[in-house]
Amino acid sequence: MEMDETFETSSKPAREPPHFGNEIEDGMNRRTIKCQHCQSLILTPGSADYFERDQLPLMKQKKTKEADPETESVSSFWVVKDMFTFQNVGFSNTVGTTKYLSCADCEAGPIGYHDLNSRISYVALDRVSHTN
Amino acid sequence: MAKTYDYLFKLLLIGDSGVGKTCVLFRFSEDAFNTTFISTIGIDFKIRTIDLDGKKIKLQIWDTAGQERFRTITTAYYRGAMGIMLVYDITNEKSFENIKNWIRNIEENASADVEKMLLGNKCELEDKRQVSKERGEQLAIEYGIKFIETSAKNSIRVEDAFFTLARDIKAKMEKKLEASNPPKGGHQLRPSEPQKKTTSWLSRCTIL
Repeated sequence: MEMDETFETSSKPAREPPHFGNEIEDGMNRRTIKCQHCQSLILTPGSADYFERDQLPLMKQKKTKEADPETESVSSFWVVKDMFTFQNVGFSNTVGTTKYLSCADCEAGPIGYHDLNSRISYVALDRVSHTN
Repeated sequence: MAKTYDYLFKLLLIGDSGVGKTCVLFRFSEDAFNTTFISTIGIDFKIRTIDLDGKKIKLQIWDTAGQERFRTITTAYYRGAMGIMLVYDITNEKSFENIKNWIRNIEENASADVEKMLLGNKCELEDKRQVSKERGEQLAIEYGIKFIETSAKNSIRVEDAFFTLARDIKAKMEKKLEASNPPKGGHQLRPSEPQKKTTSWLSRCTIL
């Protein structure tokens, strides 16, 4: 599969939220990624890049927090550039330019999504389990 | 990033509606997680990784996504397919009779050397059986393909079926590779057969 070599995830230098910090090693997943529900193997260690996306700030900010505006919530994803890097995964039918990802065994999901334009897949860290 | 697998096989599941193709689509887990979101949108394909004789094989398995209701499947769906799992329901005579029609459809649309396998599904429903195991075997012999009876609930044999199909494709490919790479020394030119179908990106990246 040909991938755009010039592609770069716009991830910032990892800020490493305390919750996932120890899952990242050299910018990649340190441990095995499995389905939270049935433990089906999704990704092997060191096969996905860490990526942090700031969601858009909330349209309405509470006035009481003027000095300290409500910050956007940070979403953490594992980035998979070649879909065949996945050990086991399901791709949903297309919705717009997106295919949602599910567990290949129990079909729990969405655990992330695949962008048809860039052909890059994103797996949400908080929707999978990380094990040794 | 370096490729982490040796082979990539595109497999299709074909058969009448209701024969349990979706269950065969590797629902190995006994405790399916019934998420409304995913089941509403539907699964397009699954990627599975299996280990076959020390080789990492990626299977990309496609379901017909309801196209089978029209009793025909477009050429586009068959493009690049290397293996086809023909599925019927042992409790449904009609689905068995239609296998012949599906084979004709495959012959008209798919690559001539696509590996096929016959799968009689739902064998846990023995009391409702309409198609004997012998008839399944007989049909498979007639077409020179392998046959297995499976139950989506008996996931082991479903897994076996995919391993068998993958092993046969691998053997066929290795044979082809040998034929096209004769021992060193001679540079052999052979009249190349006109390619019937355009090669998709899938088949291009198959041999690594």
